[in-house]
Amino acid sequence: MRIHVTPEWCLAMARREGDLEVGAGLRAPHVEPEEGASSLVEARIAFGRFVHLVRRKRGISIERLAKDASLDLAEVVRIEDDLHYNPDPRTVYQLARVFGLPQRPLTELAGLAVPKSERFRSEAIKFAARSESMEALSVEESQALEEFIRVLSERHEA
Amino acid sequence: MSADVSPVFLVNGSTGELVAAELRDGIDELDLQHWEHNWRPYLVERVKEMQAQGVPREKWPQQLHWNWRYKARVAEMFLGQRGFAIRCEGMTQGLMLVGLVSDARIEEQRGKPLVYVDYLETAPWNQSSLQRPPKYRGVGSLLMNAAVSLSLEETFGGRTGLHALPQSETFYRKNCAMTDLGPDAAKQNLRYFEMTPDQAQAFLKGGK
Repeated sequence: MRIHVTPEWCLAMARREGDLEVGAGLRAPHVEPEEGASSLVEARIAFGRFVHLVRRKRGISIERLAKDASLDLAEVVRIEDDLHYNPDPRTVYQLARVFGLPQRPLTELAGLAVPKSERFRSEAIKFAARSESMEALSVEESQALEEFIRVLSERHEA
Repeated sequence: MSADVSPVFLVNGSTGELVAAELRDGIDELDLQHWEHNWRPYLVERVKEMQAQGVPREKWPQQLHWNWRYKARVAEMFLGQRGFAIRCEGMTQGLMLVGLVSDARIEEQRGKPLVYVDYLETAPWNQSSLQRPPKYRGVGSLLMNAAVSLSLEETFGGRTGLHALPQSETFYRKNCAMTDLGPDAAKQNLRYFEMTPDQAQAFLKGGK
């Protein structure tokens, strides 16, 4: 769709708009940027990106992952993209099963259990920082993912 | 598929001069990256300053936790949702997500379809509560023009509805001349505003 506006319309409306705020839509809950909350958000970023990257690395569509894990499609989308979404333990269990990964460290990554090791926590944050781009699975992202899967497996074996 | 792009103009907040911009039908990856890497860090910095200055939480930007990546992804998956973006000088300046499955609430229009504005946000540097003067003015009017134009295209007659954030009520009541139907208990008590076909025509004419 295209709109047709004149420069005069734009100028008049912008002048009327002045310094007024224009936001519309429901407010999201406040959780940031307090101490403590930020590490939870970081953990969720790491979990969401982890699920996103493992899914793409394995060439699984979001719809396919939802089906294989018996999860609602919208829930998988929220896990990947919504920092404020709390997956429940069953969801994490189902994802761990589909990915063939140990459940406990994935539960820690999802923020549902306190990480037993500080190293695991810092590795998760490092992983979140390194895998910022959601566009293409770059060599660096791929490397970050593989390293993090190794850390997850070490945690399981320890 | 490339987005439909309409040439539009914003007004430079410092000089008052018109600046060429574009209204894009669709929110694409570049807009999401601008939100993620430019809007969000700017907002977080401002909120940290507010926190340090003891500004009460209720005065912090109310769209702080909106996640446009999630919203855009959901919109892609469901029919009846459309996204729009405004870009100017290489940067996304405003984003809007609308739905096409809601009905009018105003008595004389009740039950007729309308375009419902799910989310509308301008870049933080265009918000006077965060930056004075704002970098650009006019983003809200152009996005509302897109919502009303879409309503006409969908043969909804220009009917448009939305729940305004509290600090934005004046814009919708006065500038858009929408009817204020009061607080909506089902939607965080935000005030619901609606535009009739007559109000839509007046808005597109510039309120004259």
